[in-house]
Amino acid sequence: MSGEEEENAAELKIGDEFLKAKCLMNCEVSLILEHKFEQLQQVSEDPMNQVSQVFEKSLQYVKRFSRYKNPDAVRQVREILSRHQLTEFELCVLGNLCPETAEEAVAMVPSLKTKGRAHSDEAIEKMLNDLSLVKRFE
Amino acid sequence: MQLHPRFFGQNLRENLVSKLIKDVEGTISGRHGFVSAVTGIESIGKGLIRDGTPFVTFPVKYRCVVFRPFEGEVLEAVVTRVFPNKCCYSTDYFAEAGPLKIFVSNHCIPDDMEYQTGDMPNYTKSDGSVRIQKDCEVRLKIFGFSIDATEISCVGSIKERFLGLITDPGAVA
Repeated sequence: MSGEEEENAAELKIGDEFLKAKCLMNCEVSLILEHKFEQLQQVSEDPMNQVSQVFEKSLQYVKRFSRYKNPDAVRQVREILSRHQLTEFELCVLGNLCPETAEEAVAMVPSLKTKGRAHSDEAIEKMLNDLSLVKRFE
Repeated sequence: MQLHPRFFGQNLRENLVSKLIKDVEGTISGRHGFVSAVTGIESIGKGLIRDGTPFVTFPVKYRCVVFRPFEGEVLEAVVTRVFPNKCCYSTDYFAEAGPLKIFVSNHCIPDDMEYQTGDMPNYTKSDGSVRIQKDCEVRLKIFGFSIDATEISCVGSIKERFLGLITDPGAVA
């Protein structure tokens, strides 16, 4: 599936629509889907039957791969990452993968070093440190 | 959304929203990927009767969570199968990231990892320090995907640095 320009997440070529859309980290999606599931549980005895396979698999996936479980922690993570001039896409990849070093972060999100923003290694390390503090005190 | 008049009345809005959710959640959009969940209704426009039928069509604007892969994206997934490919004696495995199926060929697995048969077929590093088998969590990079009406599948790799088995949060092979 391709548009006029070839898509490439490493260069942040993901289409205008997705660049401007709100991206969610796994932990945020987990809160949304769990909330929806709880609402279903209140009106139905067998909520699993009411949801699509896509919903069920998505819920299992985001629950398993959420680095942060507590809603306050999730909010803090978004707040920390939002201070660093990242696109929504970059913010979510970092929030999902939680790299430990600047080197790892740049390997996961190469566009950090491009697009004219020149994030320094120190700035990236500080950001990652702040993230790991949230994890430690969750 | 199209609705039959039998659903009109006091619960019209509720019926419309239920139908929307039933019709749209769990489907696949060519542009947006999987529609995992409808999260809200922005607006419901005036209904128009379709000529020659009793059905009424309502334009509905809604918000939803969608999920699709991007070329070059790095994400985490669960290994679902490790099996040998009989055609060319290569060994491949399938992983899943939620509803997304990911295929990794042995060309995209580090050269120092070898396929081992047995009750729990797996890939083991030559020094024995890393073993990837069913239900392991791995971090991989997407290289190409295809979307059709029933599924989205993609090709991934664990061959690069910082990819591969996730032993604990933040650490990779």
